[in-house]
Amino acid sequence: MKKFLKPLTLAAALLSLSFAANAESWTPPGPIKMMIGFSAGGGADTQARLIAQAIENKYGWKILPEQITGNGGLNLAKQLKSEPADGTAIGMVVSETLTYSALSANQPGLTTENFTPLASTVAFQTGLVAMKGGAFDSWDKITAAAKAGTPIRFGVATDRWADVTYLLGKENGIDFNIVQVKGGAGVMNGLRGGDLDIGWVGGAQSKPVQQGEMVNVASAVSHRLADSPDAPLITDLGSKYTLNGYFMFIAPKGLDPDARKALGDAIAEVLNDPSTQAHALVVKNFGGPAVLTGTALNDTLTNLMSDSQNLLAAASAN
Amino acid sequence: MTEVLHYIWLGILAVFNGYPLFTLGGIAIPAAPIMVCGGLLTGIAVGATPGLAGPMAMAIALPILISVFGFTPDALLPVFGFLIGIMKGATVGGAVPAILFNMPGTPDSVMTTLDGHPMAKAGQPRRALRIAQLSSVTGDTFSDLVLFVCAPFLAVAVEAYLDLPEKTALLILSISFIAAVMGNSRGKGLLAVALGLATAFVGTGQALTPRLTFGNNDLSSGFSLVSVILGVLIIGEILIGIEGLWQASRLGKKKEDAPHDPAQDDLQPGDIGRIAPYVARSAFIGTIIGALPGIGSTLAATLGYSLGARRHFKRGKPGDTPFGEGAPEGIAATEAANSAVSGANLIPVLSLGIPGNAAAVFLILAADSIGGFNPGPQVFHFTSPQVNPELVTAFGIFTLMSIGNILNWTFGGRFMRAMGVLARIPGPILLPMVLLVTLTAIYVQQTSFFALWVTMGFGVLGYVFRRSNIPVLPFVIAFILARPLEQNAREAFSATGGDPWFLFHSATSIALILAAIASVIFLGRKQAES
Amino acid sequence: MRRMNTDVMLGLGVVLLALLAIFIWVPDDTATGLIVKLRGRVSIGDALAPTAAFVLMVVAGVLIAFEGHGKDDVPHLSLANLRFVGLFAALFLVSVILMRWTGPALVGLVHLLGSTDASYRDLRDTVPWKYAGFVTGGTFLVTMLMSLIERRLSWRALLVGLAVTALLILIFDVPFSDLLLPPNGDV
Repeated sequence: MKKFLKPLTLAAALLSLSFAANAESWTPPGPIKMMIGFSAGGGADTQARLIAQAIENKYGWKILPEQITGNGGLNLAKQLKSEPADGTAIGMVVSETLTYSALSANQPGLTTENFTPLASTVAFQTGLVAMKGGAFDSWDKITAAAKAGTPIRFGVATDRWADVTYLLGKENGIDFNIVQVKGGAGVMNGLRGGDLDIGWVGGAQSKPVQQGEMVNVASAVSHRLADSPDAPLITDLGSKYTLNGYFMFIAPKGLDPDARKALGDAIAEVLNDPSTQAHALVVKNFGGPAVLTGTALNDTLTNLMSDSQNLLAAASAN
Repeated sequence: MTEVLHYIWLGILAVFNGYPLFTLGGIAIPAAPIMVCGGLLTGIAVGATPGLAGPMAMAIALPILISVFGFTPDALLPVFGFLIGIMKGATVGGAVPAILFNMPGTPDSVMTTLDGHPMAKAGQPRRALRIAQLSSVTGDTFSDLVLFVCAPFLAVAVEAYLDLPEKTALLILSISFIAAVMGNSRGKGLLAVALGLATAFVGTGQALTPRLTFGNNDLSSGFSLVSVILGVLIIGEILIGIEGLWQASRLGKKKEDAPHDPAQDDLQPGDIGRIAPYVARSAFIGTIIGALPGIGSTLAATLGYSLGARRHFKRGKPGDTPFGEGAPEGIAATEAANSAVSGANLIPVLSLGIPGNAAAVFLILAADSIGGFNPGPQVFHFTSPQVNPELVTAFGIFTLMSIGNILNWTFGGRFMRAMGVLARIPGPILLPMVLLVTLTAIYVQQTSFFALWVTMGFGVLGYVFRRSNIPVLPFVIAFILARPLEQNAREAFSATGGDPWFLFHSATSIALILAAIASVIFLGRKQAES
Repeated sequence: MRRMNTDVMLGLGVVLLALLAIFIWVPDDTATGLIVKLRGRVSIGDALAPTAAFVLMVVAGVLIAFEGHGKDDVPHLSLANLRFVGLFAALFLVSVILMRWTGPALVGLVHLLGSTDASYRDLRDTVPWKYAGFVTGGTFLVTMLMSLIERRLSWRALLVGLAVTALLILIFDVPFSDLLLPPNGDV
């Protein structure tokens, strides 16, 4: 059976390869500089590097990854803006960088419309996380503790998370002690060490939740979390805002549409291909790829932008 | 108890029956022990090269290792093996250029230069290297044993007592220590600390608009650790060295050849007995400091050396070589202390997930990238009958560290002395060469000329410090601790609901703050007297 | 005994600079003040930590001036030291310029001959272009520093320079396709 199938799969592979080659009207004029807005060796950095590797293998394009970290991705955005818009410079950030962060830092030149979005890679699976079996592992316990006058330490990693926390607390009459730490990993470290009571984590909580160490008290995105289908949405708990977002690749503004399509398709292709390590990684950490390209991606970003504007206005008004 | 033994056995099995590298005559050769060996050799070579440090080698190795071994939990032990090997090797190797060229190979071997180099200049480089290796490996082994025994217990206890305000107080205590212990002028020590803190605050901060950058984009993520540390410590030293050679050649002075006496140049009878008490004390100091998160091997080396010097001053016999002029005790006190940090450093990493130094950061990054092992309290759940795979990995790591120590004891010293071939390269060739290697390594990591300008700038600063008798080490340590200190203080302040007196609410934190104040007054005064 | 020595001047200079930083630089170049009350939360602002560091610096400056007062001879920078640093900086500057522009200049030359229209940026990962700047700039730095120390130019210095750059290419570039030698991350 296997022997019989082998030539067939080979032929199919060759066929798809030639299709890919046909669809490829654009090739980069030189090596592609891939800026990564996350610190080296971390999960997001690894994701970017594996995507680069897979594209190199599949398309033969040369990709040179480079770290540009800091200020929630705004440093990268600033630098990417000054690179040529010919497809030889791309960057990986989170959607929050070009929406909430750019607005909040009063940098109108760094919002989505100043870049060419190429493709999203994965969606955040943000949850409100607490230690299992602790005093705060359900929303009822949290509100009861707050009513009893217990100060609650709420870990957040960004200003946007803090704003949503503040407004969520306000809706429920709770004055959280909002503690800004370094990333979702910082929140989980704080929970484990007892320095924090609850906090947001953007997807890295998946494993501790599966292993029964932590719980998702609620989902902060607009759908239920795969690990905790029973956890309510924060919009059910009175929040008007969510923490939806994506990891995504961007290029400078004014990129040739052919180049945009070719680059976006390349990213989509390698992420959706189960044989790549990039695919394996995003399945493990984020429940699978969530690739949006072209107008679908534009629309999503437009929505995230107006959400951010509303959130900032609401949080500042209070 | 049987559960513990069972887990230890599983950990050993995981190392030797795990991921096979290749099969030889039908026997699968496990990757993990081979990787420890490879890492150790790499680490010694890297440590022996000024300008290359363990963390840099780990940073370069990690992506390569992950692409070789993949993203399965099977990959954990081989990858950890290589990284731990680098960590151990670099600690030993750092002593080589410190002793032979008066140039620290790694930041934590700065104090090794003080006695190691005079001894080498006195014609006994081999003896100095042997003492360094013996002390280093002893300190490392002691520290590892403490880690194996204490990690499960101590970590949970520390965790139970330290909240955010106490962690802030702990960092303040460690910075006060440095200001008190280093240098011979309190004012200049304090200046170095203040400059280090201010440097670390440039470009960082919580607001999305970076602070203190004069609007310069390149500064918006701050001065990088690598540029500042290598600039001040390595480039500053290279500048001093080149200027010295330049002036020597103008005066027509030939660099005199060090007298070399092969009979004297090996371990002398009585050396081991002489250094043993210093090694023991320093191993102890290094282990304690290593177990405290946020305080690295440089402070351990400094303290080990200072306390050793004090003891030697009080108890030394009249004929003994004084500290700073080639005392074997001085080398031993430094090397045992800085090596004893590496094992104990993993206590907060494995039990709390908090890295104590840059090497530990890379272990955490490796664990995070590969998955299946989340350093934290849950690692030490002795579940039964269901096996806790993370605990098996933890004991696998302990096994790897033991293998590393055995290798270090047996042939580490020989390999280390082989690195001494660099000694034959004369200064006029070596210094410019080291300069280019350092600059290239920094460029490769940061891919920007701006990083090189920053490195050069801090090199000149390090040069000015040395010429003005301002100690460079407090600057570097303050620079490293500044960001964790600010972050901790921010968290403590917010977590207590904006209480400005958060440092003075618990007995532990008051005790730590009092200790900090006492260390400045008490240790500082003693220094002034001596 | 002199009333003013370099340590007293250093101390006073440090105090002056630190005061300037506290009252002008820090307030002017930080986005948030000492304590921030923003959107329902109280937190430590970006100005607090630098201010604390500069206050510490004032203390340090006062101590240095106090300790240095009345001392005769303190170690300090000499004019000769400054001259050396200047010379060193000049060599470094030329080396960086060579690293940055040798490759683009070569490519420009080839353009004149008309055999290719690719830019240096496009060729920055292609042998031999990608090594051009590193070899000239790196060799220049090592050779000139060696010559400075030995006070004469020599073929030996040139050979050492070439050998070191070649070795670094072998270490960093040949085995790892993703690492970039200077100047290829800047173009």
